[in-house]
Amino acid sequence: MEEVNAYIESGILELYVLVQLTVQEQQEVEEMAARYPEVKQEIAAIELAMEQYALQNSIEPSAELKDQIMNRLSDNETIVPVTAEVEQVIKPTPVVPIQQYNEYEAKIRILRFALAACVAMLVVSAIALYSAHNELGQAKTEILALNLDKQKFASTTSYLTEENTDLRKIADMADDPDWKVVKLAGTKMDPAAKMVVYWHTSGQHVMVDNSKMALPANDQSHQYQLWALVNGKPVDLGVFDVKSDTTQILLAMKEIAGAQAFAVTLEKRGGSVSPTMDQMIVMGGV
Amino acid sequence: MATTKKISLSEEELVGALKNRHTIAVQALYDMYSAALLGVISRIVQPIELAEDLLQETFIKIWNSGESYDASKGRLFTWMMNIARNLAIDKLRSKDFKNSNKNQDIENNVDFIDAQKEISFNADTLGIKDMVTALKPEFTSVLDMVYFKGYTHVEAAEELNLPLGTVKTRIRMAIMELRKNFN
Repeated sequence: MEEVNAYIESGILELYVLVQLTVQEQQEVEEMAARYPEVKQEIAAIELAMEQYALQNSIEPSAELKDQIMNRLSDNETIVPVTAEVEQVIKPTPVVPIQQYNEYEAKIRILRFALAACVAMLVVSAIALYSAHNELGQAKTEILALNLDKQKFASTTSYLTEENTDLRKIADMADDPDWKVVKLAGTKMDPAAKMVVYWHTSGQHVMVDNSKMALPANDQSHQYQLWALVNGKPVDLGVFDVKSDTTQILLAMKEIAGAQAFAVTLEKRGGSVSPTMDQMIVMGGV
Repeated sequence: MATTKKISLSEEELVGALKNRHTIAVQALYDMYSAALLGVISRIVQPIELAEDLLQETFIKIWNSGESYDASKGRLFTWMMNIARNLAIDKLRSKDFKNSNKNQDIENNVDFIDAQKEISFNADTLGIKDMVTALKPEFTSVLDMVYFKGYTHVEAAEELNLPLGTVKTRIRMAIMELRKNFN
C-alpha cells in the first residue's frame, strides 16, 4: 500500500494525464492503474480536476460554428457511405473485365502483329515466286537458244566433216597419178563460165568440184548435164544442179572408162538422151 | 435546430453514440465541451478565428476517430482535450503560423501567460468563466505552461529556470489545489 501511495505522490500520474510521459512510462502507469484501483481512482480525480479547470476557463465559440461542424459531419456521413457503395457496385463489374480487356487487347495486339507478319511474308513469297517464274522463263528461252545453237553447231560440224572429207579427197588426188583434173572453159554461150571435173582413169570415177564451179544457177525446170566425149560421141554422165547455197564440194557422177573431153549442157530437168549442142556452156579436153 | 437546445448526455451514452456514429454524440459533446476546448485552444493559438477553425477540426477528428477512444485509459474529455491540444500545438509549431504570428513566438510565451493570468485569462474574450483565484501564481504558471501552452514539463523547467523535480512538484501541487476547489 505504501508503495502505491509513494507512486501516487511521485507526481507521475499528473504527468500521465498531461501527456508528458514516454510511451514506455505511459504503459507502466496503465499497468499500475489496471492493478491498483487506487491508482485508477487517482488518475480519474486528476482528469476530473483538469476537466473542471478547462471548463472554468471556457470561451464560448461563435454561434454559427456548431452548424458549420454539423454540416461537415453530415456531408461526411452522406458522402462516405455513397462512395463506399459506389465502390462496391462499380468496382466488381468494371475492374475485373478491365484485366480481361487488357488480356484481350494484348491477344488482339499479338494477332494483329501475326497478321501483319503473314501479309508481309505473303508479299515476299509472291515477289520471290514472280522472280522465280521470270527466271524460269528466261532459262527456257536460253535453253531454246542453246538448243538452236547446238543444232547449228551440229550441222556446221557435219558440214565441216563432209567438206573436210571432200577436201582430203581432193588433196589425195594430187598424189594419185590416175586422177585427171579436167578444166572446162566457157563457150560462146557464156565465156565467163568454168568448172573442174576430176576423173579417175583406172577406177573410172568422175566427180564435179562445186567449189571451183562458176556456172549460172539453173532454174527449177532445167538441170545441167555432164557429158563425156568418147571417140566423138557424147556419153551421159548424169545431171546436177548449181545452187548458190550448195554445201557439198564434190559431187560423184556416172563412171566412164575412157574419154577425150568433157562438156556440160543445160538440159530440161532429168536430162536428155543426147546433148543440146547450142546449150553447151563449158567444155574441156582431157 | 440543435443549436437552440443544449444536449447533455452521460459519459457512457456519449461514448456509445460516438462509436455508433450517431451525430447526436457530436451535438452533445459540442454543447457540453466546445467552450472548454476553445478555452484551451485559444490559449495556445490566436486569433480567436484561427482557434475556432481548430475547434472545428477537433470535432471532425473526434467524429472520425471515435472508434479509437479507449474508456479504460481515461475520461472522454481528456481524450478530446488531447486531440484539441495536439491540433493547436501542431498549428503553433507549423511554419505558416510562426511566420504570421512572430509576436506570439514560443519564446515570448511566459510573458504572454503572465499577462493573460493577470487579466483573468483573456478577460476581454466573450464567454470566459470565473477564474479559480485560490491558486497561487507560481503553481498555476507551471501547470498552465504544460496544460494550456503546449510546453513539455522539461521545456517548462528550462524556461522557468527551475529543477525538473520542482516543476513536477509544482504541477502536482497545482492540481491538488484544483481538486480541493472542485471536489
